[in-house]
Amino acid sequence: MSEVALLQIIGLCVVGMGIVILLFIKGMFLRVIGFVAMVLGTFSLIALSVPQMASLPPAVETFDLASVKSPDDLASIGQKIFFSKGQCALCHSIGPSESARCPDLNGVGAKLAPDFIYESLTQPQAYIYLDFRHEGLPKEYPARMPYINKDPIGLTNQEIYSVIAFLQKMSGEPISIKVEDIMNADGESKPKDLKVASLEQSSHVNPQESDVHIQE
Amino acid sequence: MKSQGQWLCKGFSDSSRWIPSFMKWSAFLALLLFPVMAWAGGATQAMSVEYRDIPGIGSRNIVWVVAQQHLLLAGFVLGVPIFAWVCELVGWKTKEARYDKLAKEFTKLLTSAYATTALFGGILLFLLIGLYPKLMAYLTDMFFPSFLVYCLLFLAETATLYMYWYGWDYMQGNKKAFHLFLGFLLNLFAIGIMIVPNSWATFQASPVVVADGTAWERAWAAMQNPTWWPVNIHRLIANVVLGGFIVGAYAGVRYLLAVSREEREHYDWMGYVGNFIGVFGMLPLPFAGYWLMREIYQYNQQMGITLMGGFLAWLFILQAMLIGVLFLGANYYFWMGITHRIPGSEGQYRKPVMAMLIVLLLCLGVWMTPHSLVASLEEARKMGGTHHPLLGVFGVMSAKMTVSNLMILVTFMSFIMYWRAGKVETAGWAKAAKAIMGALLVLAGIAVVVLGVWGYFVPAIIRINYFSVAQVLIVLFIMITFTPLTALLMKSAKTTTEMVWGKMPIRAGYSLVLNAVMVILLMSLMGYARSSSRVHWHIYGVMRDTSEYAYSPALGYAAAFMSLNTFVFCLLVAFIFWVATLGDKAKAKANEGKPLDIAGHAAPAMAGGSPAAGEKLE
Repeated sequence: MSEVALLQIIGLCVVGMGIVILLFIKGMFLRVIGFVAMVLGTFSLIALSVPQMASLPPAVETFDLASVKSPDDLASIGQKIFFSKGQCALCHSIGPSESARCPDLNGVGAKLAPDFIYESLTQPQAYIYLDFRHEGLPKEYPARMPYINKDPIGLTNQEIYSVIAFLQKMSGEPISIKVEDIMNADGESKPKDLKVASLEQSSHVNPQESDVHIQE
Repeated sequence: MKSQGQWLCKGFSDSSRWIPSFMKWSAFLALLLFPVMAWAGGATQAMSVEYRDIPGIGSRNIVWVVAQQHLLLAGFVLGVPIFAWVCELVGWKTKEARYDKLAKEFTKLLTSAYATTALFGGILLFLLIGLYPKLMAYLTDMFFPSFLVYCLLFLAETATLYMYWYGWDYMQGNKKAFHLFLGFLLNLFAIGIMIVPNSWATFQASPVVVADGTAWERAWAAMQNPTWWPVNIHRLIANVVLGGFIVGAYAGVRYLLAVSREEREHYDWMGYVGNFIGVFGMLPLPFAGYWLMREIYQYNQQMGITLMGGFLAWLFILQAMLIGVLFLGANYYFWMGITHRIPGSEGQYRKPVMAMLIVLLLCLGVWMTPHSLVASLEEARKMGGTHHPLLGVFGVMSAKMTVSNLMILVTFMSFIMYWRAGKVETAGWAKAAKAIMGALLVLAGIAVVVLGVWGYFVPAIIRINYFSVAQVLIVLFIMITFTPLTALLMKSAKTTTEMVWGKMPIRAGYSLVLNAVMVILLMSLMGYARSSSRVHWHIYGVMRDTSEYAYSPALGYAAAFMSLNTFVFCLLVAFIFWVATLGDKAKAKANEGKPLDIAGHAAPAMAGGSPAAGEKLE
């Protein structure tokens, strides 16, 4: 017997019990209990008569280094981290969004160098940007960027590079993160060719051309 | 103490019976402690334990039941002080003792429910710590400072409640103002007690990224998540509704059990007040719900779609059914009040009542029409899909927003009709005012329908941002303007037929019970909706539920649980109220033969009674 059928039988019994109480019992308090039982049983039966759909969880995603064969694999993992463990999508949108509380990341992988993105994720308060894409004064966002490599998010370096790879791919940029570097990194250290960004190093971020400006 | 001592002596003296009994209890305790000992044995692994389970019952099921009981009790405990205090304030201002007596009776129910609420809160906390250690560790790390604030608020609330309840008789006369101030503080702390844990629950549904900072800064940032205030407002109003309808049901049951005329009169009046409070809160509640849903959509469109269009879509058909029955039940009680409490008015109000009933039923039919019909393959082929060619039009939000607003309008007018029944306006401007009110009502109804129909032809964003908001504002405008205008009209009105209390038929008592059951079911249903909208996340997008209970159960299974929870809650409340009124029964026995004070049974002014009938306060 299916679970639904079993519950339907129980529901019918409860309704029947309520009817019997109302028909044959004279004690007013018991009659009220019978009435409540009848109402609740009817509600359950109606709920059991609509389509029964349960929401099953998807398979748990794991960051499996062994499965990374190409930069695209890396970007794919980065995408999953972006929308789950990394919590990026809680604030950032990809494309215009009225509800986004932080800058739109559309095209950011093309505008910013990977080392600069790395620094933005791990030292978010180093440089504060003002968003000039809107009319009037530069927009200030209510949420402050957290340290992605620290608790509670606590992404490893390998996970951060995956996210950077995703941002590059999503911006139509060739993925510059090398799979070998990721494989060699122990999860805590940076790959050799990624240096901590400084203002001078991120010279390709031209305030005149870009939609973000650097605040002093 | 004496009886306990006797029981102990008896137990020890009869050792032949006591030893097997002791062994049974020992075995029972050992069984109970077994999992605890097993956990203690694995203390070295304790830090890595993410979940524990209760075999046979399931950790989620037990938490579901206990959390639901706690939430419902808390809703009652936090809702009742609001209208108890308002009642007391009205009694103080109008010098009518009956309001003060009613406020005291409400508070008596509150005091007995308060301890049980705290007890269930404690059980819930222990269960959560034991069964979901990883989640609780995360939440504790995030919110610990707010835990301290909560404890302080709880202490302040308890102390204030003790003073408010035990000082009621002492703080009369000159001290009444201080007692009212205590009542104000009680509500202030109660709101604090509600909104602090709300932030923990809403953070789970709509977390924000929390940057570095002190523990206080982090907790404050996490508390200010997008659905915190919508849920706060929604729950605040819902608690008043729950409290009102439960008080109404209590009065309804007492009315059914009443043996004397005085009791019938008193509980008839109390039932009226309970129903009035419930309806009063129920009218703005859908607007608060609409705001909450808007915020959810704005926060995460996927979550909104899961709720309204995904596997939970059918839940909203059930919600429509429950709200519809609640609207019908509340209106039916008003209509019965007109026909049974105001002799001779049955014929006069038959036509408008019938018109209102038809509108309500039509609206309910539209509200309950699903977007996609349950159809066999053959039926679907004939219809050209799961959307019915005619009824499919009613399955969309534009239709549902329209009918829900119309139902609120009808219920409001039902209340206004009840208020005005048995009275004749004497003010010179009464005719003009009534004409303006009638015209406004018709215009409002037309505007709501026109906006609803127009909503089909504009983009969703226009409908959601402008049309639906306009519909809500129109209905609110009617409620805000009609209430003071009617109050002014009634101030100088002449009572033609005095209300007669205690003459309601038995079905009136049942309708009050039905309303309370509907509200409890609604709260349980929407609690399930809120939890399920997080799908397989403990904290949406942040901490995944990796337990075996990570799935959301189907609606039928969930509804069976909701029914069980509602039944348990009703029995619990009945027991608490029975205990609370034991003292009254003893007093009533002692006063047998003495003349009864029935001043408190006079009709309230808003119910068409004569204010002069009330006993005056010192």
